[in-house]
Amino acid sequence: MRPILLSGHERALTQVKYNRDGDLIFSTAKDQQICVWYAHNGERLGTYHGHVGAIWTVDVDPTSTIIASGSADNTIRLWDIKTGKNLKTWEFPTAVKRVEFNDDGTKLLGVTEKRMGHLGTIVVIDIEVDVDAEQTDEKSLTIVCDESKATVAGWSYLSKYIIAGHEDGSISQYDAKTGDLLYNVPVHELNQPVVDLQWSPDRTYFITASKDKTAKLISAKDLEVLKTYVADTPLNSAALTTKKDFVILGGGQAAMDVTTTSARQGKFEARFYHKIFEDEIGRVRGHFGPLNTVACDPTGKGYASGGEDGYVRVHQFDKGYFDFMYEVERERQNRLAAAATAGGQ
Amino acid sequence: MAATTHNWADDVDADETGIEELPPPQRIQNKDGSVTMIEYHYNDKNQKVKTTRRIRFITHREVVNPRVAERKAWAKFGSSAKDVVGPAPDTTSVGENIIFKPSTNWRKDAKDEGKDANSQAMKDKLKDKKVKCRICNGEHFTARCPYKDTMAPVGENAGGSQADADEREAGPAGPGAAGAGKKGSYVPPALRGGPGGGAGERMGGSKYGERDDLATLRVTNVSEMAEENELRDMFERFGRVTRVFLAKDRDTGLAKGFAFISFADRTDAVKACAKMDGYGFKHLILRVEFAKKAQ
Repeated sequence: MRPILLSGHERALTQVKYNRDGDLIFSTAKDQQICVWYAHNGERLGTYHGHVGAIWTVDVDPTSTIIASGSADNTIRLWDIKTGKNLKTWEFPTAVKRVEFNDDGTKLLGVTEKRMGHLGTIVVIDIEVDVDAEQTDEKSLTIVCDESKATVAGWSYLSKYIIAGHEDGSISQYDAKTGDLLYNVPVHELNQPVVDLQWSPDRTYFITASKDKTAKLISAKDLEVLKTYVADTPLNSAALTTKKDFVILGGGQAAMDVTTTSARQGKFEARFYHKIFEDEIGRVRGHFGPLNTVACDPTGKGYASGGEDGYVRVHQFDKGYFDFMYEVERERQNRLAAAATAGGQ
Repeated sequence: MAATTHNWADDVDADETGIEELPPPQRIQNKDGSVTMIEYHYNDKNQKVKTTRRIRFITHREVVNPRVAERKAWAKFGSSAKDVVGPAPDTTSVGENIIFKPSTNWRKDAKDEGKDANSQAMKDKLKDKKVKCRICNGEHFTARCPYKDTMAPVGENAGGSQADADEREAGPAGPGAAGAGKKGSYVPPALRGGPGGGAGERMGGSKYGERDDLATLRVTNVSEMAEENELRDMFERFGRVTRVFLAKDRDTGLAKGFAFISFADRTDAVKACAKMDGYGFKHLILRVEFAKKAQ
């Protein structure tokens, strides 16, 4: 597997994201532009200019028409993917750490930072997925996190719940219509922030990554911890692969400790775990800084990782990856195949 | 009227600048299904350049999502607006190949891979070897020997013969091993253990590599005017001559005064040596003896 290196950013990556068809990759970094790349050859399609602060997050709507971005300049901006035009800007009192579209792209949530006397909030904005449409100024919902600020958040299946990860290591489930807090479960170690939350394709469960060196697979309905993946380094990101039942974790020594550790000790590798058996099954090295973000191609053909080193590395899996199976999985497959042929006769 | 009039001056101009009409591009269908395309053009220096390309067209059918296909045709914008089609080298590059094979015991695999293959090979090679001092035969390096200043090496003590034997034994193995073992370090050509085998490969290659020094005569006091074929005629009387070498001055082309004659058969060489030693040739008396083995 020969990774493609994308060097469109001058500073540390903050998020990479594939669109739903898996042909475009969006990347944000602490410099002030968003880049969009073709996933198949790493060609840069364009850049989005307008933010005047570090960009923390980006998300694509399901039809790949518009993207939303959140930045340290206290704005969420909406962009036309095709032309790079800034369609709309919403101002907030503090930085925006996470944005996410819901399943059909009609709602956008944003997580704002707790700072300067303002509490951390989760805001919801109604969106028209149309480049020419007039977007509303009003927020349809604001959830205030008065206990511990939210660091990440996302929409569950059918946009029923908003799930948020908090700085104190807990996960909350809010009703997406009313904004009421339904559950708050401390899944990660106390005061080890949840730093990433990514969904399964059907949004019935999600994976969280935490600084407590674990990633957890959690059901969206009742916040039950289904699986736990233990790593040997603080994690920054976790992603679920499609087609194969794997989990990719990214992390490494904290950025400020990097200069005092060697690349090997720094553990700057993408770790692959089996989603069901929770075993680590391999690592992919390459970055020379911690991995800040990993994203999987929704078509299951590859993944991209963004590091503190300013590079995005796009990987296309080869055959060995797709062929890998546990003995029990193989046996089950053989049994099913045998049953199918027997049934056919 | 003016257009049809042929101006002779134009002809000269065209010749002087060297601009002439280029042959038309050719397209040749090859038997194996590929196509050879030949094109001509002028480069910056007005030189005619012929470009021959052999292309094989392979049809690879892939069903692409129409939305994805449409997006591939989008115009670039932002910082990439001026980029041409295809990945720009300043933003996109290809990394080194990474072997990623998921495995339940990847940790063990990674460890094996991690070990330096070179150092491992060297360790294996030296596993049975022992360090031996040349001075006292102790188990340390010679340089560390406590008797270094007071004793001579073992070989010299024993009268040299044993040391010589050791040296000869080590000789052929040493350079060959050096050539193979230390990859990348310079090994002089004479010591390279190629397929021809260590010592055989000298200047001049394999032609002289197999020559039989036992049937070679050294002829000295040869006249400056001598020619190789004259020598050959003289020595061929005694048997088949396989090689005649007459040393000549590189600049003047005159003989330097010595030559080597190789015979196919040693008995012929003995005969020739006996008869030709002291033979008068071009006012000089030849001295013929058996050539000494090359040092």
